[in-house]
Amino acid sequence: MKQIIHLDINGEAQDIAVEPYHTLLQVLRDELGLIGAKKGCDTGGCGCCTVLVNGKAVYSCMVFAMTAQGKTITTVEGLADGATLDPVQQAFIEAGAVQCGYCTCGMIMSAKAYLSSDGSHLPGDLEMRQAIAGNLCRCTGYQKIVDAIRLAASRRMETSAKG
Amino acid sequence: MPETNIVGKSVLRPDAFDKVTGGKGFPVNVRLPGMLHGKLLRSPYPHARILRLDTSKAERLPGVKAVLTPSEAPKNKFHPVFFSPSVAASMVHDMLILSDRVRFAGEPVAAVAAINPQIAEEALELIHVDYERLPAVFDPEEAMKPGAPQIHEHAPNNIAMHPLFAFGDLEKGFEEADSVFENTYETQRVHTCYMEPRVCVVDSDARGNLTVWSSTQHLFGLREKLASALGIPVSKVKVVRPPYIGGGFGGKLDISFLEPISALLSLKTHRPVRIEHTRYEDFITTARHPVKVFLKTGVKKDGTFTARYAKSILDTGAHATHGAVVLMVHGMYGFLLPYRCPNSKWEGFTVYTNNMIGGGFRGYGVPQAAFAVESQIDEICDKLHLDPIEFRLKNSHGEGQQHPFDPGFKLDTYRFADCLKQGAAQIGWSNRRSKGSGNGTKKRGIGLACQPLWVSGCVGFPDIYEHSGAILKLNVDGAVDLSMATIDMGCGQTTVLSQIVAEELGVPLEAVRMTYADTETVPFDAPTHASRVTYSAGNAAKAAAGQAKKRVLEIASSMLKTTSDNLETGNGRVYVKGAPDKGLSIADVVKQAESPYVRMVPDGMQRTSLQEKGTVMGVASLAPASNPSPATAEFVEVEVDTETGEVKVLRVVYAHDIGKVINPAGAEGQVEGGFQQGMGFALMENLVFDQESGACLAGDFLSYKMPTAMEMPPEIKSVFIESHEPSGPFGAKSLSEPCAIVPAPAIANAIYNAIGVRIRELPITPEKILAALGKL
Repeated sequence: MKQIIHLDINGEAQDIAVEPYHTLLQVLRDELGLIGAKKGCDTGGCGCCTVLVNGKAVYSCMVFAMTAQGKTITTVEGLADGATLDPVQQAFIEAGAVQCGYCTCGMIMSAKAYLSSDGSHLPGDLEMRQAIAGNLCRCTGYQKIVDAIRLAASRRMETSAKG
Repeated sequence: MPETNIVGKSVLRPDAFDKVTGGKGFPVNVRLPGMLHGKLLRSPYPHARILRLDTSKAERLPGVKAVLTPSEAPKNKFHPVFFSPSVAASMVHDMLILSDRVRFAGEPVAAVAAINPQIAEEALELIHVDYERLPAVFDPEEAMKPGAPQIHEHAPNNIAMHPLFAFGDLEKGFEEADSVFENTYETQRVHTCYMEPRVCVVDSDARGNLTVWSSTQHLFGLREKLASALGIPVSKVKVVRPPYIGGGFGGKLDISFLEPISALLSLKTHRPVRIEHTRYEDFITTARHPVKVFLKTGVKKDGTFTARYAKSILDTGAHATHGAVVLMVHGMYGFLLPYRCPNSKWEGFTVYTNNMIGGGFRGYGVPQAAFAVESQIDEICDKLHLDPIEFRLKNSHGEGQQHPFDPGFKLDTYRFADCLKQGAAQIGWSNRRSKGSGNGTKKRGIGLACQPLWVSGCVGFPDIYEHSGAILKLNVDGAVDLSMATIDMGCGQTTVLSQIVAEELGVPLEAVRMTYADTETVPFDAPTHASRVTYSAGNAAKAAAGQAKKRVLEIASSMLKTTSDNLETGNGRVYVKGAPDKGLSIADVVKQAESPYVRMVPDGMQRTSLQEKGTVMGVASLAPASNPSPATAEFVEVEVDTETGEVKVLRVVYAHDIGKVINPAGAEGQVEGGFQQGMGFALMENLVFDQESGACLAGDFLSYKMPTAMEMPPEIKSVFIESHEPSGPFGAKSLSEPCAIVPAPAIANAIYNAIGVRIRELPITPEKILAALGKL
């Protein structure tokens, strides 16, 4: 039996009818057409489906949609401001962090959650790697993804120094 | 070497903008009106005959639109691999879409199409199957013994293929040797781990024509193999090129059961049918074949090879598919060709077992061989106190020599020695300590491994497609539409091909866009495999761009009242040589070509030239003229914890003679990703199966461990040695596969240098290290 839940998705309030067994990932992809979150395994092992729930990076395949009732969801579609990309998206392009791209949106969301915390220092290599340790990538060896996070972090520092 | 403006620069990937904002173009996103969802019922047994199959309950479930059983599937045997024609004698035809005999746990026995995946899943549980279980065999050496269960009637002793290549006099060679080394090396089954699952949507029309969207590495291969499996003409099948796919690495080089079953369900229901693998299904669909390699090598005191013999046993699983060709590439490019030796013999066995079917995976048989060959060279050097670099140089081929595979080709550019020298300098090889000499419980070591000879395509190896094609069309605003069948599986093929076209045509990179293609609208291209796209497809793209440029110059010469050879192009303009201000934009030239012959102007009618009219295009379809050999050397430093057995890779230097580097950042990405795959193969990945039931025990990412960002070394240094390959587009040759071939032996050799014990069986787990150290 479907039930109506209320979600705030990318700044927009939505009432959606979901089955109790629907995961947040299924609802995002199949009901709302938000295909940035990808299904890579559906068992909480790859991180391709990562989105932000109340600002925290979570595997949307591991969350029943009904438990997200009343929460704020951010997907990769909610990052860019019109044609202006989010600095993390921009950094991924410039650092060459995108290859096949299937893990990319999940990676960006994990990086985004990590970079939303304290912005006063340039993160160390280990810290950045920990931030994406739950996201698998088979193309890049992660090096240029770490480069992208570093680039976004250094730009954030410059911006906050100016501000 | 000619100056270039776009080729050789690290450019932003045109597809990255789409991929960071959602990635609409993946085949997994394809949805059609009225689309049904299919699911496969898979055998729980590794070897069985289906006695009875009752689908009546499933058919009655509301929402179920069709159930497919073996009796409804075509009975012609096919081989599913994309890169060879269906009639090729070198390929083993042993597959049916659905059969009443299953040969591995997970082989499909029936399929359902329903209005949603949940109902389809539910329907599977309502299908009743009576199986007669048959004895199963999982070890290829056991399978070769008399009395073993016979898996296919056509293959006595379960041997699907037994290739043998030899030259010189092996016995004499061993007599001439000062030392003879005999060792056995084993590699395990690992999965490609492409992140996008295998998925397809197949639609059909009332006349039985099929349209296919699939996460595939080969547009035309999918068309041909699907037609062959269904027993219909190829022109009944149209395959649409996805803008990109979510990885492949060789794992999407064949039709799986998905496409033919979706096609049959679509024909049955007259609706589009989509099937997407679960990750578990992906894990049991394709993997690198486990190979056991026995090596016997004779050497002189100074390290010169006098005789080399190898025997390789490859577990192909339930069907031969890639297993026959993987084994031959393994023997030729893994063993016989990379080094010189006058007396050599290799023989291989592709053996059927009741394991999952093996598939293509970056390096295609050679990672298994390189682990054996490069480990044994290290063992020989250690025993004879020879320098591993000098040893390899002494036995290697040289620039300008004939290609060892095809005397018709020459090693025009071949900088193997530079790879070794520059790599050694960067890692600090001269400071390498003797084995096991570190103090404390954590010991460090440096190791080296090479792939001295590789390919930029398939060298015309028996029955393998090699040609590529491109169609290029210029627009009135200066944009260039490039249409090719080439699949971009993530390595940046679209970027590189666009750079080549932009450079040749003299337009900015942003002007070029890879556009729509399907099997009815563009020329054939061989698969994205064998490190071939930059070189082979790159040459086709360049030829098409050259043709369009010629036409641009002709029209411009008419407009500028000069001759074509007096003009050149650059940065979107065509101008008089040496006088960039005397010219036109290419957009203006195209506008002239596309405009009406007679125009109305205030003074009346104005005629232009007929020679200036017509869409500006370029078309090419060609096979590459040669097959230049890249060469590779990789140096790795590891730290081994002798208390826990844990191995950490600390530093990596990868040196590669790549020819001209088209996109340096993209090339580095290939090296870094290749290392991740090679390191996983070396240290942790293992697709384990239960030896009683044949069930996969590592069918998700929680139990199948591949390296995350945490395990990877802090830096992987790429050293590109840029030779200028005369037959390549702007001097380029290839890169991709050696990046994944060399890490395992380099890591194994570094571990030996660190702790002085040799592990000859992958993966090198902490348990194996502790056991080798006598601590377990």
